[in-house]
Amino acid sequence: MSEATIAHEFQYSSASHQEESAIAGMWLFLATEVLFFGALFLAWIYARHFNQAGFDTGARETALAIGTANTVILITGSFAYSAGLAFAENGHNRLLILCCTIAWLLGLAFMILKFGIEWRDDFNRHMFPGPDFAITGPPGGGARLFWVFYFFGTFIHGLHLAVGLGLVAWIVWRASRGDFSPKYHTPVTAVGLYWSFVDVVWLILYPLIYLIGRAP
Amino acid sequence: MGPRLTRLALTWVLLLVLLAIELGISRWITNPELRPIILIPAVLMVACVGWFYMEAGRGPEIVRLFVAASLLWLAILLGLGSLDPLTRVMYYVSSQ
Amino acid sequence: MSVAEIEAPKPGRSYLTEGLTIRSWLFTTDHKRIAILYLITITIFFFIGGIAAAFVRYNLIAPEGMIGSAETYNRLFTMHGVVMVWFFLVPAVPVTLGNFLVPLMIGARDLAFPRINLLSWYLFVLAGAVVLYALFTGGLETGWTFYTPFSTLYSRGNVAAAALAIVISGFSSIATGLNFIISIHRLRAPGMTWYKMPVFLWSLYATSVILVLATPVLAMLLLLLTFERIFHIGVFDPAAGGDPLLFQHLFWFYSHPAVYIMILPGMGVISEIVPAFSSKPLFGYKFVVWCSIAIAVISFLVWGHHMFVSGQSLFSALVFSLLSFMVAIPSAIKVFNWLGTMHKGFIRFDAPMLYAIGFIGLFTVGGLTGLFVAALAADVHFHDTYFVIAHFHYVMVGGMVSAYFAGLHFWWPKITGRNYPEMWGRAAALIIFIGFNFTFFPQFILGYLGMPRRYHSYPPEFQDLNVLSSAGATILAAGYLLPLFYLTWSLLRGERASANPWGATGLEWKTSSPPPSENFAVTPVVTEPPYNYPLREATHSHV
Repeated sequence: MSEATIAHEFQYSSASHQEESAIAGMWLFLATEVLFFGALFLAWIYARHFNQAGFDTGARETALAIGTANTVILITGSFAYSAGLAFAENGHNRLLILCCTIAWLLGLAFMILKFGIEWRDDFNRHMFPGPDFAITGPPGGGARLFWVFYFFGTFIHGLHLAVGLGLVAWIVWRASRGDFSPKYHTPVTAVGLYWSFVDVVWLILYPLIYLIGRAP
Repeated sequence: MGPRLTRLALTWVLLLVLLAIELGISRWITNPELRPIILIPAVLMVACVGWFYMEAGRGPEIVRLFVAASLLWLAILLGLGSLDPLTRVMYYVSSQ
Repeated sequence: MSVAEIEAPKPGRSYLTEGLTIRSWLFTTDHKRIAILYLITITIFFFIGGIAAAFVRYNLIAPEGMIGSAETYNRLFTMHGVVMVWFFLVPAVPVTLGNFLVPLMIGARDLAFPRINLLSWYLFVLAGAVVLYALFTGGLETGWTFYTPFSTLYSRGNVAAAALAIVISGFSSIATGLNFIISIHRLRAPGMTWYKMPVFLWSLYATSVILVLATPVLAMLLLLLTFERIFHIGVFDPAAGGDPLLFQHLFWFYSHPAVYIMILPGMGVISEIVPAFSSKPLFGYKFVVWCSIAIAVISFLVWGHHMFVSGQSLFSALVFSLLSFMVAIPSAIKVFNWLGTMHKGFIRFDAPMLYAIGFIGLFTVGGLTGLFVAALAADVHFHDTYFVIAHFHYVMVGGMVSAYFAGLHFWWPKITGRNYPEMWGRAAALIIFIGFNFTFFPQFILGYLGMPRRYHSYPPEFQDLNVLSSAGATILAAGYLLPLFYLTWSLLRGERASANPWGATGLEWKTSSPPPSENFAVTPVVTEPPYNYPLREATHSHV
């Protein structure tokens, strides 16, 4: 299939011109997301700086095993999708679908572990910063702030992951219709960037939530 | 195809090694002020994902520009934003 | 710039005639039509914000406050600020003139992502609907700055709804900025190197950098604010271990660069108009373009100057004060360059140039008084007084709104295919200039004398200056209403415009007025520098 037969919008000079521009646009969008989460990280810095003892007291109650497992899951999910992209670039459509499906299932596993099991556990142990919050006394304020950060941060990250699940499912659907080829797979690349970015955000959230406050 | 997949797989191994290092550092540092050092392997993991999975090195030049700009601006937000709490003189009120 | 032949379109055929149904407008992806949709929307918001201001000035005629209710007054100035900042000033030039002109100026057929462009308009309209709901049902009395703990613990207004509206408008802004950055990088016509681009494009590029990097921080902040308001999460509440200053830091991290989002496009407009009406190339082109970039970068480093008396550390206050002095430098360089352009030029005093000259003077006053408030010790006295209000209205209204009107008049023939009545244009520019100064100059004096802002009443000794200011506001309002009438009139009865009625340089003037949907029949090739004045061909037919 020659380039001339691949459609592109009329403001672009060629299909590859459009593809590179779309990828650049996705990277620019991810740059905005860096600043979006960055504001949350500044809030973490302030909360921990002014309430360090209480903050870390709260942090010690997080479920390290689940958090670490989830980190491994997302790393593997990023690997899986990237492999799928490599297959797409070489025309192996069925391997693309397989890898994307694996990535999707790993993402789903993350959601189940985090929201189905870990959050439920946290609620049962009264870690939700509501009226019956478990930690009282002097460290209570800082601990409560930690758990506010925990629930808010994992909620926002979870929303982004949910969008990612939707996008990856869309890629699998389009791939199953034969939409992609070595010459055209821009959506696969673009969604892959977003998917790996969700992983990147978690790689920073993970130590902020599970590790830094957990001094031995 | 083969070398590419190998590179992706080795990156995965490297990420898990960095995770193990991160956990190790977490066990090792006891001073709460120094705990943020744990973020160093985390940032390295981010770099690995960005370079090997997201292929920041490929694509048009402006991609690198966007990545650099986002990191620089994040540094300004977190750095200049932290300047106030780090240098504020706190006058504590007794809790009576 | 010379171009390969650009075929004249069939007479009467343009982007305006291509599809006459409402559907063809509401589902368009043509950047020119989207610009018109935005133009209508922000004009509505300009008048809503203006009516709120009219009530504010009306209240301040009497020392005890004409309206009688402090709460109502608080709601009025909040409405004025929220609507004017997010629904007029931040979008103004980028979404109207920018959307229309960016593809034309770079020689492209549309922006990089036309559907995202349309989406940005729908997000803006949705945000506008939510903010009007918030402001008119229950209202908001926190000021446009939403400071905690008042906004989170004590306000009886629709804080969460207003915050949500602004988050949505933020996504609209980010979409616009993203589109411009990718378009300017990727869609320039052959021969259009960076240094051949008109300054307007550099200004919009710098504006877009701020849009994409600052707005996300505001989005996160407003989410945190909403959660604090509804769920009392405590991040801004000292009783819970939170810090109210965190709110201010995150707020101003966005809002200070935001004021440069507002002014940079205006500076870009002036940089197009001054050379055209001086028949001289722009003086110091490279200085002007790199100053735009410098302003965008340094603007992110100065936000703490809004917080000098908030309780932030003295050390960081000193750092912010020093950096704030630095941000004035590139703006000053631009002023010198505009003056250098006019020097020994052949000046024509058409309406766009009158607005531009007014801009240079008023922006300089506003900019210089910014230095007063950037000085840490002086600001302790000036903070929260009318001095600050006068300062920012000089830059934003005297500066930015004048630049917006300048650009609207300059490109009106191109956008609509009609010439506006020139004498009315000049009259409005003069009335606005006079009304503006009568409104806001007394406020410098009031602030110096110590009159605080955001108070519905004031000590009687300030009455004379307040009455003068309110009188000026009526003149200013008349000045702003005039274009609404004569520009609308010109759509129906104005003489038809030629492709280049001003004799200006720039690719947009090479195509017909109004342009065809695809902008250029043949992709232009650029070989000459920008601002190639004086033009050899005398194409201007405007009176």
